[in-house]
Amino acid sequence: MREKLPEMRYEEKGVVKMIEGGLQERVAGMGIRVGKEIKMLTKQPMKGPVVVIVDDTRTSLGLKIAEKIIVEVKK
Amino acid sequence: MKILLMGHPNVGKSAVFNRLTGANVIESNYPGTTVDYTKGYMRMRGEDITVVDVPGTFSLEPKDKAEEVAVKMLEEERDAVVICIIDSSKIERGLYLTLEIMERGYPVMLALNMWDVAEDKNVDIDVEKLRKVLGIPVIPTVAISGEGIGELIRKIKEARAVEVDKIIKKAGGIDETNR
Repeated sequence: MREKLPEMRYEEKGVVKMIEGGLQERVAGMGIRVGKEIKMLTKQPMKGPVVVIVDDTRTSLGLKIAEKIIVEVKK
Repeated sequence: MKILLMGHPNVGKSAVFNRLTGANVIESNYPGTTVDYTKGYMRMRGEDITVVDVPGTFSLEPKDKAEEVAVKMLEEERDAVVICIIDSSKIERGLYLTLEIMERGYPVMLALNMWDVAEDKNVDIDVEKLRKVLGIPVIPTVAISGEGIGELIRKIKEARAVEVDKIIKKAGGIDETNR
């Protein structure tokens, strides 16, 4: 099932399927690219950032950016 | 000759810097910002070399002031040699920055720093293959203990600019970035 990154549940794992235009370069430096496994750690309240784990590293992403990343959630 | 030390934040750039330069250090404030960088000197075979500890950056697409300074410093030093410093346990993201710098045509060499941490995490890196694929010197280092720093200095002269297209070919031609 494909969904936007912030829609993932805590501890859920997925694979990045699509990153909306123009954003690829911005998140690539943080290790996020298509094909990469990603795990949802926390979502901060009040439209705060989401924290994910990529390559054993925690990375926080602004909600606006996270919404442009589409992941395939693993069952 | 000028050497820029570049890499992600907290990969040991300053530790490498201290190893290369000793205590002879000038700390400066990059004009117009509050981001500090350090500059020092080392002597190699009678030649004075300026070493600059560039603020850590994740990519060459700046997201904050410190990254802006890092990118600007790189752009202003067209003839500098870049030593890319990578956290060996998180090698992939570090290589992204390395390739970005190589894409801009700088002579680059790679220090796989925090090698001991990678070993602890059971991360096994085929250094020889990396050397072949990238076509630049690749040296495992542990900056806090000084391991590999001697080799790093010896290989500075071998740092070179390599076209990224060639690297992609040698890596098997797989371009996953869907650009």
